[in-house]
Amino acid sequence: MERKYTVLLVFLVVMALGLVILPGKNDRKETDPKILLGSIVEKSRYLSVDQVTHRIIENDPTLLLIDLRSAEQFKAFALPGAINIQPDSLISKSNLDLFSQPGKDKILYDNTDLISEQGWLICTRYSLNRIYIMKGGLNEWYNTIIQTEVAKPTASSTDLDLINFRNAARIYFTVTGNTPVSPPSVSNGEKIEVSRKAPTAKSGGGC
Amino acid sequence: MIGPIISSGLVSTAWDNVFAVLLGMGFGFALESAGFSSSRKIIGTFFGYDFVVVKVFFTAAIVASLGLLYLSYMGLVDYSLLYIQPTFITSAIVGGIIMGVGFAMGGFCPGTSVCAAAVGRIDGLVFFGGMFIGIFLFSEAFPLFENIYYSGSLGPKMINSVFGISPELFTFLLILMAIGMFYGAGWVQGKVKKIEY
Repeated sequence: MERKYTVLLVFLVVMALGLVILPGKNDRKETDPKILLGSIVEKSRYLSVDQVTHRIIENDPTLLLIDLRSAEQFKAFALPGAINIQPDSLISKSNLDLFSQPGKDKILYDNTDLISEQGWLICTRYSLNRIYIMKGGLNEWYNTIIQTEVAKPTASSTDLDLINFRNAARIYFTVTGNTPVSPPSVSNGEKIEVSRKAPTAKSGGGC
Repeated sequence: MIGPIISSGLVSTAWDNVFAVLLGMGFGFALESAGFSSSRKIIGTFFGYDFVVVKVFFTAAIVASLGLLYLSYMGLVDYSLLYIQPTFITSAIVGGIIMGVGFAMGGFCPGTSVCAAAVGRIDGLVFFGGMFIGIFLFSEAFPLFENIYYSGSLGPKMINSVFGISPELFTFLLILMAIGMFYGAGWVQGKVKKIEY
């Protein structure tokens, strides 16, 4: 092999070795308050139960459902493929690795939106990307997808398509036999304990 | 556009096609510069008289992964915003075998056949035409292949996570593998009779 190629290869090995031995980088910087506020104001974090259901049925490989309810409720019923994470361990090391997975849309849900909103805020504040909330939570999912809906005679073709989809989805979920006959209980009183991390860097920007 | 420039909102998605054309031109230029419009050069990998294809693509992979990891370490690229193509393991294996057979038979892969067609090589033009016939037939017969196409879904999987090691360590091992391959290819090339083309 020519000398110049040998030199380049040695350079590549040294650079790669440098990456391996460099100290781990704590890249979890707190989101800039202005950006965080902008994210809170805009509503793109919400996905409708129809959108989430469609992606479950399609076996969307980029979908990662995160159930924020208690372990007992999760054991009783959960959406297919969902992972149960307790809100107080949302930002633990292993869960941060899970949330940092590239190429995945992380969709949070609980019985309503309350815990999901808090979870979304914590994740967004930790600069985690592609975090969404299933709007209305499992109660909304149950009322929309599992409850029978009869089309009105005056319904538009778009509405009819939606109702047909929901009816088909209901069959899809109920034949598996793990869908409860009553909606999940609403638990607005649940609290999450957030251990706030001491800021490691000054907030950027400034207004 | 699947890079972090557009994903992070620095550039509008309306630029997608402009970036696609520019990157495609750059890629085509690099392929032609490396001599990849010659099917005899490409096929040399299978017969052992020219390993430039493997060397070029292996070099591209190690340089890109090393650069990406350093940019990420320095905070210039948000690693989590990169688009990772979802893995469908069954169709990847079946498609890989078909692609390999087509590669060995035709002497081109899809990208290099476009290069060869662009410079007016007849074998490149024939391969290019055949590729579109294949695409048409596959699209028409897609319902027959749909199940196998979507089977073995693993999602956007990173190979380092499969082995349970960090991306940095995997890149280091990949570079060691590349060096082994470079020397191995040189050794094989020295044993095989040279072919002029």
